[in-house]
Amino acid sequence: MTAVQKRIFINKLALVFSTLSAVIALAFLFWILGVLVMKGVSALNWNIFIYEGAPPGYAESGLKHALVGQLILVGMATGVGVPLGILAGTYLSEYGKNSKLANTIRDISDIMMSAPSIVIGAFVYAVVVIPMGHFSAWAGAIALAIMMMPIILRTTDDMLQLVPGTLREAAFALGAPKYKVIMDVVYRGAKAGILTGVLLGVARVAGETAPLLFTSFNDNFFTTDLNQAMPSLTVTMFNYATSPYEDWQQLGWAAAFILSMFILGLNILGRLILLTRKKGK
Amino acid sequence: MASIIDIKEECALHVRNFDFTYKGAEAPSLKKITMPIAKNSITALIGPSGCGKTTLLRSFNRMHDLYPGNKYEGEILFDGRNILDPKEDLIHLRTRIGMIFQKPTAFPMSIYDNVAYGMRLQGIKNKTELNDRVEKALKDAAIWKEVSDRLKHDANGLSGGQQQRLCIARAIAVEPEVLLFDEPTSALDPISTQGIEKLIIELKDRVSIIIVTHNMQQAARVSDYTGFMYLGDLIELGYTEELFVTPKEKLTQEYITGKFG
Amino acid sequence: MVDKLFQNLTRISAFLILLIVAWIFVVLFNQSTEAMQTFGLDFITKDEWAPNVDKFGAYAAIFGSVASTFLAMLLAIPVAIGVAIFLSEIAHDKIKGFFGVSVELLAAIPSVIYGMWGLFYFVPILRDLTGGMGIGLLAAGIVLSIMILPFMAAVTRDAMNTTPDILKESAYALGGTQWDVIKDVIIPYAKAGIIGSLILALGRAIGETMAVTFVMGNVHKVPTSILSPTTSIPVTLANEFTEADTSLYFSSLFGLALTLLIMSFVVIAIAKFYFLRKARRA
Ligand SMILES: Nc1ncnc2c1ncn2[C@@H]1O[C@H](COP(=O)(O)OP(=O)(O)OP(=O)(O)O)[C@@H](O)[C@H]1O
Ligand SMILES: [Mg+2]
Repeated sequence: MTAVQKRIFINKLALVFSTLSAVIALAFLFWILGVLVMKGVSALNWNIFIYEGAPPGYAESGLKHALVGQLILVGMATGVGVPLGILAGTYLSEYGKNSKLANTIRDISDIMMSAPSIVIGAFVYAVVVIPMGHFSAWAGAIALAIMMMPIILRTTDDMLQLVPGTLREAAFALGAPKYKVIMDVVYRGAKAGILTGVLLGVARVAGETAPLLFTSFNDNFFTTDLNQAMPSLTVTMFNYATSPYEDWQQLGWAAAFILSMFILGLNILGRLILLTRKKGK
Repeated sequence: MASIIDIKEECALHVRNFDFTYKGAEAPSLKKITMPIAKNSITALIGPSGCGKTTLLRSFNRMHDLYPGNKYEGEILFDGRNILDPKEDLIHLRTRIGMIFQKPTAFPMSIYDNVAYGMRLQGIKNKTELNDRVEKALKDAAIWKEVSDRLKHDANGLSGGQQQRLCIARAIAVEPEVLLFDEPTSALDPISTQGIEKLIIELKDRVSIIIVTHNMQQAARVSDYTGFMYLGDLIELGYTEELFVTPKEKLTQEYITGKFG
Repeated sequence: MVDKLFQNLTRISAFLILLIVAWIFVVLFNQSTEAMQTFGLDFITKDEWAPNVDKFGAYAAIFGSVASTFLAMLLAIPVAIGVAIFLSEIAHDKIKGFFGVSVELLAAIPSVIYGMWGLFYFVPILRDLTGGMGIGLLAAGIVLSIMILPFMAAVTRDAMNTTPDILKESAYALGGTQWDVIKDVIIPYAKAGIIGSLILALGRAIGETMAVTFVMGNVHKVPTSILSPTTSIPVTLANEFTEADTSLYFSSLFGLALTLLIMSFVVIAIAKFYFLRKARRA
């Protein structure tokens, strides 16, 4: 075999190997996705949306409590994390710029984005749950908001920086004060990007279980009392799945399916917004 | 309507009725190109931006095959064989027809390894042979003096002009028969440009050269033949001295006098 | 007036993130002082974790975290690089788009679902294949590797995609094959970015709770074999935090949380500030 023939052979081998690894990886991932869809869809029925949790063996048991709890928790976290994240991102892009301080904040946020979420839960337990004396929706929402803030901060920062400087200058030239320029020109220019960032940030946080385990804890019944433990899809899924009862496990898969669809939906929506914006330009 | 001179010398390549269409494009980017490329001489391709110079150049080493869906029609004869044949051995073809790009493309490895890369691909392992041929290629590319004491250094530490000469050394080290240059000096300062031009002229004893350039003075300085392209057509191919002084086509005349483009 | 107000509002929000991070460290440190004072270095070097006699040594959990992450990396890295090569160099445009997006979407699936799949579908298979319980270090390593695979493959692909086309074309123009170009040009060029991405994935794996908590066993013992049940820091926290009944137990759990936070901070900081920054500069 000549050197070149050998090279061509090795090339084929290497390409086959990486294709194979892609196939294996995707096979595993689609296996998981398949299980999720099969199990989830077969467990879906209207009762899930009508009834709250019930002891195992009850026909009239559902996930209403967890669905509503999840929405409340994620909603509150979004309400706090998104405005704070956008404001902080605005500071970095419009005021801090490339200063040392701004760059430090960027670095710290980057690290925070990958920090173990269970540690955030432990922190919130110490500063919210212990002083209050009990688990609460507040604690869960705060934990999620802490996770959300750095994500929103970084995307806002990136997206605002994409707005061309000439646009800002044009507005300044008309005599607008800085906050007006930011509100009317910069935010408007970066609208799609920020919205995508928010959607992806919400999606990322909505799937978190660990930070809720000992903050909002869990409850098998419907509640809207923010001062009490609050059920969530993720923790309910965790508890039901590890329970020995067949019907609870079923409900766990249904919860997994509903939550995944919600998260995938947010992700796809975020991508579409970015895509249409790019096309529009 | 195109005016193509008949080349009396031996030809390195012969383009015949060549059409090229990019993937998804409605119309071909090159239309019925017929063009002889003289051996051991320099052929320059000029024309306004987007006329198809790069597209034509990249057909000679089938670079377009890296992106699926592009379509060649017609013939490019090299050694009596049509290199557009789908069965053509591209690895072999590309060792015989080398290419230098618009920007220097030093690989992320040492200066020595850069120059030795093509030879190693061909299976040359012998240390002394590699050393000799690396040295010769670097000398031929007029960069030996500058780098002989730091062959093991990262090639990305060199200046732009040095890197471009390194790329030329890398290309000539495998002793190709044809070299394709796509605006090789467009990213360089005037002094480096001069050096590269001088080098290209020296190389033509050994290889046939096709050079795409935006700079008409450059074409006039270095080339023996010049082809003028416009909107995917080869409008005129002639001796460089004649084409720039007494062009046969009206379009060529307008272009070289700066009436458009 | 409004201008100043707005500026200060943004500034306070930005500082808030620094404040929170500092606060997290201070709180975890304070909460864990009791454990640190009681056990000193023994806390991380001893593996006896016995709530009934108020003895807490985190070695088994730390070992489990490191071992399961190591195992996951060992399995995931070659496959992720293979997938990244496939996605950036081999697949045709349409497949590239479809699988590329699939991989990114899979990275967004909540990790608890990987854990549930592991418990119900993978552990039984592993049990049949290897005997024993199925639950343990190996199961945790494999489930963890599958969980980080999409993220790892996506970021590795992104790093590879930074290689300029013209550089790849230069290697093809010398008669290189696809594999020659990948190993001699793309991987060396994107090396810093690839390593940074892999370490970033490691940072995620080490702090992952839900994917492994079902399949690891939560047994505070240094595993004697790859099949033994064991525990990791996040798994211990998830299982025991709400059960702690003495202040020393509690403090020890906070000690674990602090250890984990420091481990992941160091790993992520190395990835970010050494490799990824270098990659961006290149
Ligand atoms: N990858 C591609 N896909 C589709 N069309 C392309 C592609 N590359 C170039 N074209 C089109 O083909 C035509 C010729 O392009 P080419 O790059 O060959 O021009 P050129 O003469 O080299 O121009 P320049 O002087 O600007 O380098 C142009 O109309 C261009 O838009
Ligand atoms: Mg060109």
